[in-house]
Amino acid sequence: MGLYLKDICNILHYSQQWLLDRQDLIRERQQDLQILTEEEYQKIFIFFSNLIQILGEQLKLRQQVIATATVFFKRFYARNSLKCIDPLLLAPTCVFLASKVEEFGVISNSRLITTCQTVVKNKFNYAYTQEFPYRTNHILECEFYLLENLDCCLIVYQPYRPLMQLIHDIGGQEDQLLALTWRVINDSLRTDVSLLYPPYQIAIGCLQIACVILQKDLKTWFAELTVDFDKIQEIARYVLNLFDLWKTYDEKKDIQALLAKMPKPKTQPSR
Amino acid sequence: MSIRKPVCDVSRNKPSWHCEESYQSLSGGGNGFKKDTQQPGTYGTVFKAKNRETHEIVALKRVRLDDDDEGVPSSALREICLLKELKHKNIVRLYDVLHSDKKLTLVFEHCDQDLKKYFDSLNGEIDPDIVKSFMYQLLRGLAFCHSHNVLHRDLKPQNLLINKNGELKLADFGLARAFGIPVKCYSAEVVTLWYRPPDVLFGAKLYTTSIDMWSAGCIFAELANAGRPLFPGSDVDDQLKRIFKLLGTPSEETWSGISQLPDYKPFPYRLLVCNPALRMAAEEAMTHPYFSDLSSAIKNDRCQ
Repeated sequence: MGLYLKDICNILHYSQQWLLDRQDLIRERQQDLQILTEEEYQKIFIFFSNLIQILGEQLKLRQQVIATATVFFKRFYARNSLKCIDPLLLAPTCVFLASKVEEFGVISNSRLITTCQTVVKNKFNYAYTQEFPYRTNHILECEFYLLENLDCCLIVYQPYRPLMQLIHDIGGQEDQLLALTWRVINDSLRTDVSLLYPPYQIAIGCLQIACVILQKDLKTWFAELTVDFDKIQEIARYVLNLFDLWKTYDEKKDIQALLAKMPKPKTQPSR
Repeated sequence: MSIRKPVCDVSRNKPSWHCEESYQSLSGGGNGFKKDTQQPGTYGTVFKAKNRETHEIVALKRVRLDDDDEGVPSSALREICLLKELKHKNIVRLYDVLHSDKKLTLVFEHCDQDLKKYFDSLNGEIDPDIVKSFMYQLLRGLAFCHSHNVLHRDLKPQNLLINKNGELKLADFGLARAFGIPVKCYSAEVVTLWYRPPDVLFGAKLYTTSIDMWSAGCIFAELANAGRPLFPGSDVDDQLKRIFKLLGTPSEETWSGISQLPDYKPFPYRLLVCNPALRMAAEEAMTHPYFSDLSSAIKNDRCQ
């Protein structure tokens, strides 16, 4: 476990500036929560996380880049109202910035716009009846605001790497456990955990959920971890609440009304 | 100066970025700053300027954002986000990032000259105590980077700044990256040829802190020789030849895994081995990957 603990320290070192607490989040969202209920607010963020995911997949980005883009997106709105920037513009901007930071190589802006147009038209026509309204100059302007609001903190640590170390530490062939936990981590991007907890805690929380789903008993292994188990339980609760929400929620049916209700910037681009 | 953006309506509830007008050019008047050659950047141009309020001397690195397809260049992004994390006496400080329409300006701590210029001012001689001091400071800055999971990847005398107090600072992190995240394919075209380690010259892509340590070794020799570069190769092959001439030619025996490197071309090095028992046989040499793209007309020649 020596290497693992060292890495945790490094990860902690980077994460501090952007680890928020629950009270901060509630305060910052006050303005939007006067218009939207907390559940509606979460549904809007689930929708845009999905949009970032699909956009990233269409652009053939690695999951790491997609996850970083999602965290940028969430961090921006953790400090700003939805009416500051249309999330439909911020989402591709986050993908654009994340691909550069993660050394994926730059996605050309024009390819990004074309992909946005196709994705909105083919995959999200249940949400948007009009075509994607933004152009390269909007993305470039938006990138500045994003950079400034992120306070230039662009290195994002994700739970995927700690997960690999945890799986390695468990030992043996755990491909199924790894694959499932990986997916639970992807799902966790649709909750607030990436704003509230460091990546290694999220990895452990998601691993625990995966163990429950697979009915895998690793109790003695978990007991040996030096982590704050209250935090792990909190993370697990966030993710399980998401699963509960998904059971009854039909995004295709509800999202248009939600987007109509969402606070918006005063000025809209000409369509 | 703040620019109205038609689609972004961000409330500024925290101190906003400053604009370049807070700084006064020190080298020449007029509209522009006169270029100061102290920090030749891989991107953008560097100017010397004074903060109008605090009178502090700074170096401004201006990045033009002409390329509508790339937006803020990734090298600038990397430098900004890494230097934000790295606050150390032997690493150049990034004070601020200024933004205005079509350009981004990075405000750095000012240093008087870089190590290359310092070498030029020497008359082929250097005080051994200075060599020791500079080398120690270089290692201390590097140790800090590496302990923060950052590889510099482009160490060379031009990127080491020296100030009047004899302090040395690592600069130009445009090629640097954080290595906490597993990345399989680093860009292979990294690090100026002369300071590039053999593994990278052979196309290795999964490199670690050792890339900076090789460069540091080259710089140490250059310091000790008052500015004469250790391996001034003219191209990749010449670079490798110079290295192996001094250090001996590696083989699978001395460097396990070397033959797996993508651009590894041991030929003719495997022939020039002192120990005759380890010297390659002709049959073996003919099957070497070096000949893999040889025209089949020659390969299949009837020779007897």
